[in-house]
Formats: sequence, C-alpha cells, structure tokens
Amino acid sequence: MNYAKQTSPYIRKETSVKRMMFDVLIALLPLVVFAVYRFGMDALVRIILSAVIFVGVDVVAALLKVKVHPSVKDKKERFKLRWKTLTINHVSAPLVSSVIFAMIIPSTLPIYVLIVGALFGSIIAKAFFGGLGSNIFNPAAVARVVIGLSFVTAFNYVGIDVTSSATPLAAVNDSLASIPAMLESYSLKDLFLGNIPGSMGEISSILIILGGLYMFIRKAADFRVTVSMILSFTVIMFVATLTVKPIVDNGQIIETVLYQVLSGGLLFGAVFMVTDPVTSPVTKPGRWIYGLVVGAIVAAIRLFGALPEGVVFAILLGNIFVPLIDYYKWSKNKYSWKFILGYVVSLSVVSLIVLLALGGIK
Amino acid sequence: MIEKTRYIPDGKKERKNQPVIHYLEAEYLYFPTTDLRCPAGESCVVDGQYVKVGELIGTRQGGFFEQPIHSTVSGYIVGSEKKVHSSGQTVDCVIVQNDKKYVLYENCVSRTEEEIDALTKEDYIKIIKDSGLSGLGGSGFPTYIKLETKHPIHTVVGNGVECEPHLISDYKLILERANRIVEGLTYAMRATGAKKGIIAVKKKYPELYEVLENARQSFTHFDIEIKRVGNHYPAGWELDTIKSATGIKVPQGKLPAEYGVTVFNVATLYGFYRAVKRRMPITERFFSISGDGIKSPKNFQVRIGTPVRDLIALAGGYTETDKNKVLICGGPMMGNALQSDDIVVTKTATSLIILDEEVIPTEPCIHCASCVYSCPVDLQPVQIMNAYKERDKDAINALGVNKCIECGLCSFTCPSKIHLTETMRQAKRFIKK
Repeated sequence: MNYAKQTSPYIRKETSVKRMMFDVLIALLPLVVFAVYRFGMDALVRIILSAVIFVGVDVVAALLKVKVHPSVKDKKERFKLRWKTLTINHVSAPLVSSVIFAMIIPSTLPIYVLIVGALFGSIIAKAFFGGLGSNIFNPAAVARVVIGLSFVTAFNYVGIDVTSSATPLAAVNDSLASIPAMLESYSLKDLFLGNIPGSMGEISSILIILGGLYMFIRKAADFRVTVSMILSFTVIMFVATLTVKPIVDNGQIIETVLYQVLSGGLLFGAVFMVTDPVTSPVTKPGRWIYGLVVGAIVAAIRLFGALPEGVVFAILLGNIFVPLIDYYKWSKNKYSWKFILGYVVSLSVVSLIVLLALGGIK
Repeated sequence: MIEKTRYIPDGKKERKNQPVIHYLEAEYLYFPTTDLRCPAGESCVVDGQYVKVGELIGTRQGGFFEQPIHSTVSGYIVGSEKKVHSSGQTVDCVIVQNDKKYVLYENCVSRTEEEIDALTKEDYIKIIKDSGLSGLGGSGFPTYIKLETKHPIHTVVGNGVECEPHLISDYKLILERANRIVEGLTYAMRATGAKKGIIAVKKKYPELYEVLENARQSFTHFDIEIKRVGNHYPAGWELDTIKSATGIKVPQGKLPAEYGVTVFNVATLYGFYRAVKRRMPITERFFSISGDGIKSPKNFQVRIGTPVRDLIALAGGYTETDKNKVLICGGPMMGNALQSDDIVVTKTATSLIILDEEVIPTEPCIHCASCVYSCPVDLQPVQIMNAYKERDKDAINALGVNKCIECGLCSFTCPSKIHLTETMRQAKRFIKK
C-alpha cells in the first residue's frame, strides 16, 4: 500500500460534461421527432448523415491528436493506444452539433450540400481549433453559413402549403409592413405549433420552448444569454414596428413583434445555439452583454440586411466579440450599477439608431 | 452544471451519532518543537526529567511571537524524534513516556471569581500567551497577538460553524462543553473590552443552538447572542462568518479588528476558559478518523501529542485493497494530503480522512463558468487558468489570484473535473517568483 499524492479538494461534485451534453440531446429530441413526423424520410436521412459526419470527424481528429510514444512500433498497438484515449465526449458533443446543424437546414437540402456543410463545420470550425472546448465559433453555425452563402439556390422549404417556396420570414424580407398580410396565411398559432414552412427544427416554437425549459431547469444551459438575446431583439423590433404607420393604426404592434420573435429560427438560435457554453463569455454580466450583441445583430440583419435569416450570422458575429467581453481588464462576475446602466443605455442607443434609420415615428 | 454551487454534501450525519472514545492509553506522546508558523523552537527539559500535566516543556519561536509547549500527560522525558506534522512537514518532537497517572502540575489551580474580576487587559494577554493558545480552528495563529490589537473591539464572534464536511470536533465540543465555551466567550469579551458577543452555529444543527442558548442563560449580565447562520460552504470562513453573524462586510486583505470585530473558534474560546479559570493549556481535543480506506471510522477524544498510528489501530486499521490510500489531515475540501501516517495529534489537527485513491480523468474545459459562478471571492478561475497556461503575469495579477482562499469550490464544481484549485496555487507561486 502506498500513499497517493493529491491536493485538496478530495471530493468532487456529481456532474459531468457528458451529462450536460445528454441533457441538450434530450432537449432536442422532441424537435427531432417532430421533424421526422413532418418531413418523413428526408429528415431522418439528413439527421443521421449529419450525425455520422460530425461524430466521425471528431473521432478521427481525436485519434490523430494523440501522441503515441515512439517506442511503440506495432501499428495495431499504436491504434489501440489511441483508441483508449477516446471518451464519451467524442460522441456526445459532436452529436449535439450535428443535430443542431440538421435542425437549421431545410429537409429538401441536397445531400452533397449537407455533406459539404457538415465537413466544413466539423473539420474547419472544430477540429482545426483543437476539438471540444477550443473552438471559438459555433460549428453548426459555421456549417450553416458556409452552405448558405455557397449554395443559395439549394435552399427550398417545404411546408403544409407546398406552393410556398420561402419561409414566412423570407417573404417579409423587404418590409415590416407586409407582416400583417403574412399573418393572414400563417397565424401566430401556426407559428407556435409548427404549421409553417421552414428549416427542420426551427418551425415549432412550442417544442423549442419546452426543450429550453428542460435545459434551464437541468442547468445544462445558461438562461441569461437566451433571455438577453430575446429581450434586446424584442425591444428593437418593437421600436422598429412603431415606424410603420399601417401597423400602428391597426393596432397590430404586438402581433407583428411576436411574429418576428417566433419565426425564422430566432427561438431555436436563442435556446440551442447562443447558449453553447464553449463560445459564450464566462461571466454573468458578460453573458447578458453577449445576448444583447447577438439580439441586436439579428434585428439589424432582419431590418436592413438582404439575408432572410440572420440568426446564424449574428451568432458567428457575436462569437467574435466573446474574447473582447471576457478580456481580463474589465470582465467581472459581479453585477454593478455601471453594468446595468451600460446595458440599458446600449439597448436604448441601438433602438434609437434603428428608429432614426427607419425614418422615425410617422 | 452552470450554476452557483453553495451547498456540498456533508458527511456529519453519519459522524455525529457515533460515540466518542476517550483515549488515554497512549504509551508515548510527541510534542513538536517547531511547526509551520514557528520555524524555530527548543525544549527546556532534559531526558529523564519528570513532567506533569500542564507543565512547560519547551517554546516554539515564530517571526514575531513565541508559543510555549505544554505536556498533556505526566511522565518522563525520553528524548526526541522526527515526526510528520499535520501540515506535512517533518519536525522534531519531544517524547514523553506516559505514566498514565495524569498528575496535575502544581501551578494549575483554579482562579477565583474575585481574581478573575481583577484581571486587566495586560493580564489576559499574559495568561493567554503563557497558555500557548492559538487558533484552534486550523489557522494556528497565536491568540495573544489578536488580543494585542490597538483597534477598539466592540464584538467578539465565536465561530462554531465548521463548514467542512466530515469534521465533527467543533460539533462535539459545543454539545459537551457549551457552558464553558460561553464562559470562555465572556473572558474573551473582557480581554478585548468588547460589549457584544456572538456565537455562530449552522442553521441545520438546532441542537447546537439549544445547548448554547441554555448555557447563555447563566451569563445574562453579558450581551451574548447565539446566531444561526447559513448551511453553505464556506460559511465558516472568517469573513463570511463575520458577515452572517454581525452584518459587517470586511474586505479581503483587511484585518477584522479594523472593523471592531474579532473572531475566535469555539475551541479557542474553550481554551480561554481553561487558561483563565483553570490556569491550564488545552490538553485534549476531538479527533475523528473516517473515510472508505479505514475499517471502522471512529470519533476520539485524545490528549494532544497522541500518535495517530495508535488511533488508526483502534479504528481497525486500513482496509486491504490494492488501491493507494490518500491520507488527509483536515477536511476533504481544504485538508493536507500526507505522505506518511507517522503523525501526531496537534492543537490544530481536527480529523484524519483516509480514502482509496481514485484517479479522476480530466476532460477539456467547456467554459461552462460554474467555477466563476461558485467562487466565494468573485474570482474567475477559468480565466486565471488560461492566463497561467500562457504564463501571463500581468493577467494573473489583474485577475486577483492572491484573493483566492483555496476553498476548493472551483475544483469541486467543475463538470470537466479540472483541478482548478491546484492551478490557483501554482499561479500564486508563479507570480511570487
């Protein structure tokens, strides 16, 4: 019997990365089931393919990363030593990325486009940065943005109404003013339940909210980013809506804002993508600021940009700000008056800019 | 999980129902002449000399203070030997062969009430200094230095929180000696000139509150309050106890005395009672042996200087497994790991925990920030870790690593099982270079 060298503390809490990852997967499960129910085999094939690619790349990258001692010459032995270093995290973490990626693409996306996106996301956005915990961009968002920019024509959405070829949001890209007209074909109830065309996992708001609640209760994700993102987006959209006279006159402000919140993957991004801890800041105020940044960028893209779905872009742009928010000279884990004031002022300034840019209240 | 961790499972429930074994049979007792705070020391006895309980046998010398060493048994001095101190150092020890008669030293006679009433502040300082009393909660800081403060003290806080899991010695001490602890508190109040005395105990142990409240009834001419504070960890940290007991927020790096508060562990208050009333140093303490590496965990009441190997034998010895053992002196969150079981019970030793070694595999950090949320002193362990990996002195300094109290919560809460607390220690050492 020997005495082991250890340092305090000697006890650890019963938590693990594995449990957090599986919690996210459980939260995503209703969406996956709904996607398969709505889009059938198309969805199933794409989800499985995406999972195989993400997990496969992660495992291969992990195997290559291991340095085997040069004294071991036998190839089989070398492989065995590498194989031993694999953990459940090399399956669960890429599985989360793959399911999220599958949820933000349409069910009709050609298979080769999906393969390109998944490979790009898993190799360039994750493996090259060093695997789990080291990536600075959300792999699923990178994958979606790359194919979104490279294969614009590949994106066709199917819905209940087969004639429609665009998501509800794409149809209102030009003007907020057309939302009331859109509301006639897709009611808020449809948006809630998922009776709209769109990406596989983004359409059913109610299931996203349920999944989110599960994650927040299980503490597998931080609610602060989600709340902050939806809050800032809602405020800016509300201000923007005030500039459109017909909507204000008809008293459809709340419906319009709700429509914006429930459509176009905003909720999915807010619940499952920005909450990714790896690409979030590490302090509580930092997470509020990060949510504000992402929410404001989504709103700006929707109001001024040419892209119909700005959420993934906004998340990638927000990721760029994370090291800045976390910079050691100012990051603090305490709420201060300075922070609260800064948050409110920033949100007001952005809203004011939006208001002025859209031509003020008519 | 991404949350603030404040509550940790404490194994006190199993511990506290076990009986206490009063162990007086030790053949030889060992008294370290040096320790972590006092690098020098000497004995003032010769081999073969007969000593009695409470007799002075040597002095430890620190940088600006000294501490007498007292024998806790009667018997003959039989030389000296090197032993492991509870802090992990190897130190010289004076050995006393126990004649098991426990004859009291002649000077140890009780003071009468009149004598105590006549004591001045200087007298108290001298009494405490001569009794060798030091912070018995684990700090080992000489108590008389605390009394010598120039700042006016208005409140004395007795710390009975003992927030580390598995430790039981303060708990048992309060249950059995509540009256004397409260009496000790009155002496501490007289010694410091404080008007108010507070004893803080955990909310979840109402029995402690009751015995102390009962004991308080006999000292109604003093303003004493028994306060029930939170069950969280680290509620027993000096500054946390002050905050929950008095509401005063003492910033880190300042002395509580500057804010008119001084904190003594309940065991130290008991020491006050013994020194002032009975003219005795602390001779006994509660010591527990627990963990899954020992056959039958037990609580002991032992003389200070008892070799722990005797107690391990009484507890049935180690379980015979192929695994390595981890020997922890102190609590499982902040204790020291020892490389030998050849140790003796000292004033500051509270417990020995013996665990089977389990290697916990570390996974990559996923920036979940549980460590940041949980840190009781608002540090960002994950950022310090990254800065330390880059050997960035400026960043480590700016992130305030020196504030770290090494409570162990960051390592405890990490879902990736990264040993952040050890990284904090390394970072502290690194910026000192």
